[in-house]
Amino acid sequence: MKPGLAAAVLALLAPLLTSVQAVAASCGEQLPPAHRVLVEGNGQGRSEPAGVTVAFVPDPAPWAVSRHFALRGQLCGAGRLLRVDADMPAHRHGMNYRPTLSLQPDGHFVAQGLLLHMPGRWRLRFEIEVDGRRHWLDHSVDLK
Amino acid sequence: MLVRWRGAHEALHPVVRFGWLGLAGLVVLGGGSLAFPAQAQVGHAAPSAETSSSLGVLAFSAEEIGRILSHGPWPPALAHSPARDPGNALSGRPQAVALGQRLFFERRLSPAGVSCAHCHRPEQDFADGLARSRGVAELDRNAPALWNAVHERWQGWDGAADSLWSQAIRPLLDPREMASSPEHLQAQMLRQPSLAAAWRHVFGRELRTEDPQTVLVGTAKLVSAYVATLVSPSTPFDAFRDALARGDQVAAARYPLAAQRGLQLFIGRGNCQLCHGGPRFTHGEFADIGLRFFVRPGVVDAGRHGGIEALKASPYNLLSRWADPAPPGQPDEAVKTRHVEASHRHFGEFKVPGLRQVARTAPYMHDGQLATLEAVVKHYSELNLERLHADGEQVLSPLRLSPQETQDLVAFLHTLTAPAPARSKVLQPKAQQPKSLNRVATR
Repeated sequence: MKPGLAAAVLALLAPLLTSVQAVAASCGEQLPPAHRVLVEGNGQGRSEPAGVTVAFVPDPAPWAVSRHFALRGQLCGAGRLLRVDADMPAHRHGMNYRPTLSLQPDGHFVAQGLLLHMPGRWRLRFEIEVDGRRHWLDHSVDLK
Repeated sequence: MLVRWRGAHEALHPVVRFGWLGLAGLVVLGGGSLAFPAQAQVGHAAPSAETSSSLGVLAFSAEEIGRILSHGPWPPALAHSPARDPGNALSGRPQAVALGQRLFFERRLSPAGVSCAHCHRPEQDFADGLARSRGVAELDRNAPALWNAVHERWQGWDGAADSLWSQAIRPLLDPREMASSPEHLQAQMLRQPSLAAAWRHVFGRELRTEDPQTVLVGTAKLVSAYVATLVSPSTPFDAFRDALARGDQVAAARYPLAAQRGLQLFIGRGNCQLCHGGPRFTHGEFADIGLRFFVRPGVVDAGRHGGIEALKASPYNLLSRWADPAPPGQPDEAVKTRHVEASHRHFGEFKVPGLRQVARTAPYMHDGQLATLEAVVKHYSELNLERLHADGEQVLSPLRLSPQETQDLVAFLHTLTAPAPARSKVLQPKAQQPKSLNRVATR
């Protein structure tokens, strides 16, 4: 691509990119900021969706080993949250519980029934449907 | 990593030998990094003396100290005290506890004369010392000690009950245990005027007008109100842990060095803490550790998988009409029951038991197949990975412990037990047997 053309494309896309970044940053801004986690899909990798952000907090906070908790959050962007799960890839096991998910039209959600029963690295997983395709957004939590 | 011992003065860290600062304070100020080397690497010979007052404290790293502190305080600080049996409005009520204690020792609840205390004997830390417990007949599993049962998320080796009271219903009705029935319970209690009066006092209703199912559930809730009070006493480990927390070097140094080395193994290379974490030394869930799970030739104990199925089918779980609502402000106690789900990997899993009072509750494992703590440590040292299910815990691998390491780990486990015979504050079974009950017993 010629430099001039590239600059023109970037100039055209800049407002859109800024808008997406603003949406991502403001996602779940009503959640308690001390424990809020933002996970932004950047389209990298085989399954991560672009233009989708998940914001969430554990309830109760902070994270704790072997204590039931809920995830309260918001999905921002053009996607639909299908499932919330967690596993320990290094140990090759997941949770002993299957969370239930309640969704609101504005993207807010509550996932209940999670329990991370061991110390170590857990991977929180959000299954999201975008344009009819299923993707995962992941976030790692280290529990001591 | 284990600090191997050659000579006490060589193995001790300079901080220990020449002046010991408050470790907890250092951890806080240093943000997880102590100002001295994490480990002292020395030789392999056993220590010549085990009294640490002259030898000091191992050079635990900041991370190790954090792990040690996570095993306390004990008893645990609770948001809602005392700990409450879920779905049991009687839990914590003194009259219910007193009546429940009487019923716990009451043999006439069973047509065969078997009381709860038959398998959960106070003088044996509320276990019975048998590999497989025996009520009316021999059972397939070991009777677990009842200490701290109120803090358990799931009851029983397979977690088939989600509360103490629903757990208590099973042995009452099981023909191999107490072989009772709701009708028998009601009839027997009606024969004791003092029990009928106590029932009226607790429930505000006449025992004779109760539905037998209500009597069954009420009896289980009363017994469980008593069992919920059985919290194990503080141990030598707790004294050491608390000394570390407050930076008291003199008190910390009273903890035997063998136990300190065993503790370092427990929270380090042994990976024991992954499952035996927290103040009760358990994460409250289930694991497959490669144990024999044949009950007898051709019969397998399905463990947790069967437990979840039984839980879901139970008419007495926390989702049932028999469960009392949680007090205002307390979290939803049935969240675990709503969300637990059986999967193939739960076959052969059994509950990870808490380790408090462990030295007094042999034999070990769900069917008592390991007779001593030494045998338990040997099991993990020589773990047969072929016995684990295909997707068993990746964290398990044979520890290949040396004889010295085995001794150290066992020494540590002994310090999780209170030195004197543990007694509940409310435990006075003979003194509290009412005269009316004793009279009937001699008929």
